[in-house]
Amino acid sequence: MSLARLHEVLCQSRQHVSPFLMLGDPTPDVCVALCRELVAAGASMLELGLPYADPSADGPVVQAAGMRARKAGVSTDEALQTLARVRAACPDTPCNLLVYGNLVHARGYARFCADAVAAGASSLLVPDIPLEEGAVLRRICREHGLGNVLLAGPRTPNKRLAAIAAESDAFVYLAGHQGITGANANMAECRAALVARVRRYIDVPMCVGFGLSSPQHIQEVHGAGAEVAVVGSHLLRVLSHALQEHPGDLAHLLAAVRTAFQQLLPAFRQPKEIPSCS
Amino acid sequence: MSVIPQVGAFGAYGGRYAPELLWHALAELADAHRRIVPSPEFQRAFRRELRTWGGRPTPLTEVPSFSALARLRVWLKREDLLHGGAHKTNNVIGQALLAKRLGKRRLVAETGAGQHGVATAMAGARHGLPVTIYMGARDMERQASNVARMKLCGAEVIPVTTGAATLKEAIDDALRDWAATVDDTHYVLGTVCGPDPFPALVRDLQAVIGREARAQCLRQIGELPAAAMACVGGGSNAIGLFSGFVDDDQVKFFGAEPGGSGIASGRHGATLCAGTPGLLHGARSYMLQDKHGQVLDSHSVAAGLDYPAVGPEHSFLKDSGRAEYRAVCDDAALAAVTTLTRSEGILPAIESAHALALCLTAVDDGLLNEGDCVVVNLSGRGDKDLPTLLANLPGEES
Repeated sequence: MSLARLHEVLCQSRQHVSPFLMLGDPTPDVCVALCRELVAAGASMLELGLPYADPSADGPVVQAAGMRARKAGVSTDEALQTLARVRAACPDTPCNLLVYGNLVHARGYARFCADAVAAGASSLLVPDIPLEEGAVLRRICREHGLGNVLLAGPRTPNKRLAAIAAESDAFVYLAGHQGITGANANMAECRAALVARVRRYIDVPMCVGFGLSSPQHIQEVHGAGAEVAVVGSHLLRVLSHALQEHPGDLAHLLAAVRTAFQQLLPAFRQPKEIPSCS
Repeated sequence: MSVIPQVGAFGAYGGRYAPELLWHALAELADAHRRIVPSPEFQRAFRRELRTWGGRPTPLTEVPSFSALARLRVWLKREDLLHGGAHKTNNVIGQALLAKRLGKRRLVAETGAGQHGVATAMAGARHGLPVTIYMGARDMERQASNVARMKLCGAEVIPVTTGAATLKEAIDDALRDWAATVDDTHYVLGTVCGPDPFPALVRDLQAVIGREARAQCLRQIGELPAAAMACVGGGSNAIGLFSGFVDDDQVKFFGAEPGGSGIASGRHGATLCAGTPGLLHGARSYMLQDKHGQVLDSHSVAAGLDYPAVGPEHSFLKDSGRAEYRAVCDDAALAAVTTLTRSEGILPAIESAHALALCLTAVDDGLLNEGDCVVVNLSGRGDKDLPTLLANLPGEES
């Protein structure tokens, strides 16, 4: 059901901005409230991560988000319960679940997929189970109606991109730069060229993430042919700052993250820069 | 249903569970491992460097007084005498030569006890490759002399403060560095862990230990030993020794895992004795994890064994029954340091002393018969451990 909804949403518009949040960060209640807030502010999709102790593809900001959630006692069970609450609060918004391989392995592939679908996940991205190692997991996902999302990167050869697209029945997740999430590389030109190249070799929807933090980044990614832009570390940095500066102030937290998100939306126009009078 | 790795599998273990962003570099390295490493030119350069810079072959030393205490005939494979003070140099020389052949201009590595970091820093200095080492902040404290040696060789040492601030976190950060720098950087993984091809590559580079040891046994003892013993953290010194005898069915393999404060205490690193299969750092192998799959922190007095997973080939050797693994507690390892030092005048690393401790109790434990001939890999020297050893010296008032 959820996967069908994802396909429907991807058909409706070609310019989605999807926030990435960690399930249970900073607590399950606040996480649900944040998701509701962001969907109300215009998020047509959500990407949600399961807290993990060794997220090898993630930068320090996402690592810290996972640590906050784990400190709040969020394990796989609580994370999936939180996901179910998010889906209840935002029934029309598809959720892509990001999970490191060992959490899926420990629960057993079949049980994990069944539980993820029951909680309302529409698709699954396991960053450390690549194309060659993932055949069994992808088959089980398909059996459960859970969409497969595979990673691609700047160094992925063209032929391999086609193979990755063929296995991605939800969408392909393209890392916008070589490295880990959130790095603040200013690679605007490279990124647009990369997205355009990958676009030529894949015929399924494409989502781009890693280091997107401004409306220009988002426009460039959409302009080069990606349907979805994912913003993670940028929002989590705002969240972390709000938690530190205004601890316990939920209204402030929600407003800060919502504002940061809205400023990225394509509909939002930055005020034109006033030329300096030199 | 069991999960079977597809690339670089050792039975149900191993594989290449790495993000797509590393795939290209791993495939390139796997290709180099297949094509370049066995080539006569590479082997000539590798062996020459091992001999003239590394100091190979290392001796096989008979230790009669220690043997009497163990009620065995014990021979030590003296990797402590290799340049740098541990077996790590074998692997690093090979990977540095390979990195140059691949056109890489920088080396990055993790280190626990600092021996692999020192070896990489030395090799980087010799081959003109800048080196960045990731090391847990806690390990930097307890292995300060090795940190100094790395810095003297010109390496940049980056403290890792996340989690338990030990080897696992150092590998996480080294992998993150490599993901961003693969174009010009080679990741010198220090043990037989990680995604394919590292477990097989590092084994092949460390196999010189077993090859030499087997030939020395035949020459010096006149027969093959009843057993080969080594400590196992990630497991590279053990695989290096075992690989020389893998077709000799009569040679039993014993691995000494870090028992920390005891398995029952939960504070240990005995992955094979007390762990379960899972995915960590690119491979399926035994690891310490909770029921949800969150990685647990390991504990050991030996920084070089303080790791919650193990090389996938060891998992395979365990399940197939070819090798047997036992946990050795901190106290027993520290006592074995003193025993060897006072009986033979050889100061072993605390890591290596885990194997010595296993050797001392092997007859009582029924692993071996009295008088059996045993080769123990003395994988490193203990100079780096002086602060820990002096604090634990028997009879010393603090």
